[in-house]
Amino acid sequence: MTDGAVNPMQDSPDQHILRVERLERAADGVVTLILTSETGGDLPAWTPGAHIDIVLPIGLTRQYSLCGDPSDRSQWRIGILRVPESRGGSEYIHTRLQAGDKIVVVGPRNNFSLESANQYLFIAGGIGITPILPMLAHLSASNARWRLLYGGRSLRSMAFLDEIRQLTGGVIDVCPEDECGLLDLDAYLPSHEPGQIVYCCGPEPLIAAVENRCRSWPDGTLRRERFAASARPTPFDPGEFEVELARSGKRVRVPADRTLLGVLEDAGCVISNSCRAGICGTCLVNVIAGTPEHLDDILDDRQREAGNVVLPCVSRSRTDTLVLDL
Amino acid sequence: MLDTKKVRGGSGLREIESEIDEILISVEQITRDATKSFFDKYSENPNQLVLASWLETRCWREIDYVFLLNEQIRRYGMRLQRKHITLLAKQSFQEAEHYEALGKAVESLGGIVPTSVPTAAVPWSNFLWECMDRHHLAAIAAWYVSETSASGSFEPTFVGAERHGHSDVVRIYKQIEIDEKFHTGLGRQILSTYAETDEDRDEILRAMRGMREIAWKSFTPEVVAATMRAA
Repeated sequence: MTDGAVNPMQDSPDQHILRVERLERAADGVVTLILTSETGGDLPAWTPGAHIDIVLPIGLTRQYSLCGDPSDRSQWRIGILRVPESRGGSEYIHTRLQAGDKIVVVGPRNNFSLESANQYLFIAGGIGITPILPMLAHLSASNARWRLLYGGRSLRSMAFLDEIRQLTGGVIDVCPEDECGLLDLDAYLPSHEPGQIVYCCGPEPLIAAVENRCRSWPDGTLRRERFAASARPTPFDPGEFEVELARSGKRVRVPADRTLLGVLEDAGCVISNSCRAGICGTCLVNVIAGTPEHLDDILDDRQREAGNVVLPCVSRSRTDTLVLDL
Repeated sequence: MLDTKKVRGGSGLREIESEIDEILISVEQITRDATKSFFDKYSENPNQLVLASWLETRCWREIDYVFLLNEQIRRYGMRLQRKHITLLAKQSFQEAEHYEALGKAVESLGGIVPTSVPTAAVPWSNFLWECMDRHHLAAIAAWYVSETSASGSFEPTFVGAERHGHSDVVRIYKQIEIDEKFHTGLGRQILSTYAETDEDRDEILRAMRGMREIAWKSFTPEVVAATMRAA
């Protein structure tokens, strides 16, 4: 570790100092890191879908999925894409990290675990293949039914293709954008098939597109892992709309960079609220007309589909106008 | 009101969900009964210092949450999504507001705002901090139960305090009631998002079971009578 490294997780009980055994090029803009124990012993056990936090000597913490073989406790493998708009994390790994360096790692943890299902559809975009790769290996070994739709900018940018092609038992569809265009999600997600689970990992637009197609599917049938920490669009996502207050007939615009709740408060509405994050549910307002875009974490699927209530602290409108019972 | 037990998060609690919900429902009910029992007893001899003493424990909980939440962020925050760090900090700010507001209520009743752990709150506080040291999710599990327990106290508090004209107490608790929805929802979301292993789930259940045995006791008239310093 570099002298003076910032380690904000110094009290974490599952923290390890690991040695960078080697760096290998996996595709254009992608390197893999092989990490081993500083003392040469076994590393903690992990399951497909797990990730680790890497605390870089420059004070940044980044999460990367483990993409090696879980049965090999002697080493961990992660794949890192050099992100053009990198804030320093992937840039540091690609340009400054070297074999023999020591790095602080926390984990592994798994928020994207492989659940039991009759059949699986995996949708990976770019480096989003990393958590999915060990899942495919596990399912191949257990003769499960699976299909992979793997997209990327070009074949040269898509990591682990050789490994994937050696897997047996599943259907593999590799779709580089420069040859196939955007992934044909409508063809892969026409409707939910009983016993099927979809796993998706990739850039935010891909996950949003998959979520959109699976919106009415049963709970738990779509599992996704995002690259970014934020799990959903922020209130600053584009999308201006108008809101009408039914009791007064007053109409106000909700700009793209403001919350509906904030605009309603400015318009003189007194609305009970606390978290302003879509969790507590206390700002619930009845919808008379229009279709809300639900971005909260508390309404259930039935309430979302009914569309007659909205949490204005985070949610917005899918229609030009939303008429509220205010 | 929406049920914050159903807040969206991860699947980390799926295997223990039924026991968790049973703990939450039972602790809310037992605290409701304890609070009602306190105000029934208070009605027999409405000495404001007794109510002040009852509130002192509530008041301490608020400031202890502030300490705890900040320690949670300091020790374990870098494991969390950034939004959860923000929300824990926001909860901490609200708990500080509650400490300030309840402090004014305690003083208006002639009581003393606690600056160290009141006797009645010692088992609660010790358990919470022990959980913090044991596991990165245990303290959250414990305060989730404790906050849910407090939810059971609101309705009898409104009725009891109103009956004796303590409108300030009612007003303060109305705001706390709103914020508790946020706090319990956040607790559930964090636990379900970050619980991954059987060990995590064991520690969560241990913390929740332990807090269920403790959280409601300081609401009872017996504990207030045995520990009050201001009467």
